[in-house]
Amino acid sequence: MEAVTSVNLVKAYRGKEKIEALKGVNISIEKGELFTLLGPNGAGKTTFLRIISTQLLPTSGEAYVLGFNVLDEAEKVREHIAVVPQDVATYGNFTPWEYCYYFSLLRGMTKQKAKETSERALKAVELWELRNRTCATLSGGEKKRAIIAAALASEAEVLLLDEPTSGLDAIARRKVWAALREMIEQGKTILLTTHIMEEAEMVSDKLAIIHKGELMAQGSVEEIKGLAKEKFRVVVEGSLKALEGYVSNNSSVSFGSKRIIYVEDGDEAIELVRKALKKGLKAEASPITLEDVFVKLIGGKENENRKNS
Amino acid sequence: MKIGKIVRDTFIIAALKAIPDLKRQPLVLMVMGLISALPLFFILVFGGEISYGLVGAMISTVGFIGIASAIQDITFDRYVKIRETIIAMPVHPISYMIGAALAPLIFSLPGFAFFLAIALWLGVIPFQALGWIIAALLSCWAVLSGLGFVISTYLRRASIYTLNNLSTILGLGLIFLPPVYYPEELLGGLSWIGILFPTSNTAGLIRAYSGLAVFSQEIIMIRWLALLAMMVVSILLVVFKAKWRET
Repeated sequence: MEAVTSVNLVKAYRGKEKIEALKGVNISIEKGELFTLLGPNGAGKTTFLRIISTQLLPTSGEAYVLGFNVLDEAEKVREHIAVVPQDVATYGNFTPWEYCYYFSLLRGMTKQKAKETSERALKAVELWELRNRTCATLSGGEKKRAIIAAALASEAEVLLLDEPTSGLDAIARRKVWAALREMIEQGKTILLTTHIMEEAEMVSDKLAIIHKGELMAQGSVEEIKGLAKEKFRVVVEGSLKALEGYVSNNSSVSFGSKRIIYVEDGDEAIELVRKALKKGLKAEASPITLEDVFVKLIGGKENENRKNS
Repeated sequence: MKIGKIVRDTFIIAALKAIPDLKRQPLVLMVMGLISALPLFFILVFGGEISYGLVGAMISTVGFIGIASAIQDITFDRYVKIRETIIAMPVHPISYMIGAALAPLIFSLPGFAFFLAIALWLGVIPFQALGWIIAALLSCWAVLSGLGFVISTYLRRASIYTLNNLSTILGLGLIFLPPVYYPEELLGGLSWIGILFPTSNTAGLIRAYSGLAVFSQEIIMIRWLALLAMMVVSILLVVFKAKWRET
């Protein structure tokens, strides 16, 4: 069953200039999936999430959460979702416990039930020991986890998280990922937005790449990676003159003394590494990353737009 | 949405917005009382009528709240996004509006009780009129809270500096300019202006029930109708006009 669906979803903001934040986006998220909406800043991720969470009205198109229309059945939708807004800061006088407990009560839980779910959520994000400290005294990562815990405590079937790990260090981020995967194990559906490629690759069951309001690709991580012609990347460091003849046949990108060379198959990658090592260069081969595909897709679209204009 | 859920949510939101602050910042109670006591101090120093000052102080403690709730709402929304989170919950806007307004009302209660106790002790307010006076004050609070909520929903993008200035202007406009701390007669032929503002209208009613002003039963009725009409308009604005969900 589909947990979240959007059909030709359009959002245009009318100001001095008309800005189309979403241009007919079609997304389908199955129940029990962790689905990531990946895109650069200003891509339309937050707009999409705010429409799904009934905070923002679309200009046209339709969107459904567990079969309920976000326009006509917003109240029903709200019974089944919990949201962590983008750049959410914590209120300094609140404790993580108060965040979880009061928000759970607002969802209609009894005091006892709210206490139980708050305890579970705070333990899931490893904040139980700090539950009675005011947010003003917590670190950035702990504050974020307090907000996420409030969403988890809601026991909502669909969690909508807008860049929940932005600004967190690697350790704090991994703790959040672990908590999210735990929620998926419990049968929840999560829609997550991020511009962190590693996050999208590590936690997603499926993802969609969005750029300037347009959906560029949608599918599992492997399916998205499959969109690129080249399947491997070779990172070479040192003087690249020795490899010039070879490299010219392949797409590549340079960063100072390092060059990433994209090749179509594994044998080709191994051959290139061997050549580089023989010439005394540092080299390593690995499968193409999501970031590589993302850059290629966005770059390709930008070139296409430039040609058209 | 069921009425029971709306009422329950109202008290949860009030508790959410009041209890953590009360636990950790109890000094705010003193600040709220002192704001209303300040004009009373000047009235005493310059030999004004203390009874008018006490009526003004009571309305000020309750009246400022309506405007304060608007500012608090926007500040909360911008910095901690509590409102944004609540919009996406099964919570009715009315619960949010009344809950957000009730929270500062909880803060104002000690100050209000203090001024009320003095007024009762000095015989400014008779015990038998207490019910009417509290009803008038609550109506005034409802009007200002409703207006504050509607204003707050329309000024989503205003800077915090603009909001602070706006709260000052609204405070002056609604509490200090109309005849709240002073008698309507001072305005001479313009004394009817008092009925147009919820604050001064309430002050007039309290004075009438306290015997500080003499109004006919018809005038008292008209004043009540005006106050109730403002309350209905304010609630209708909240229900139909407030931008709960963005377009």
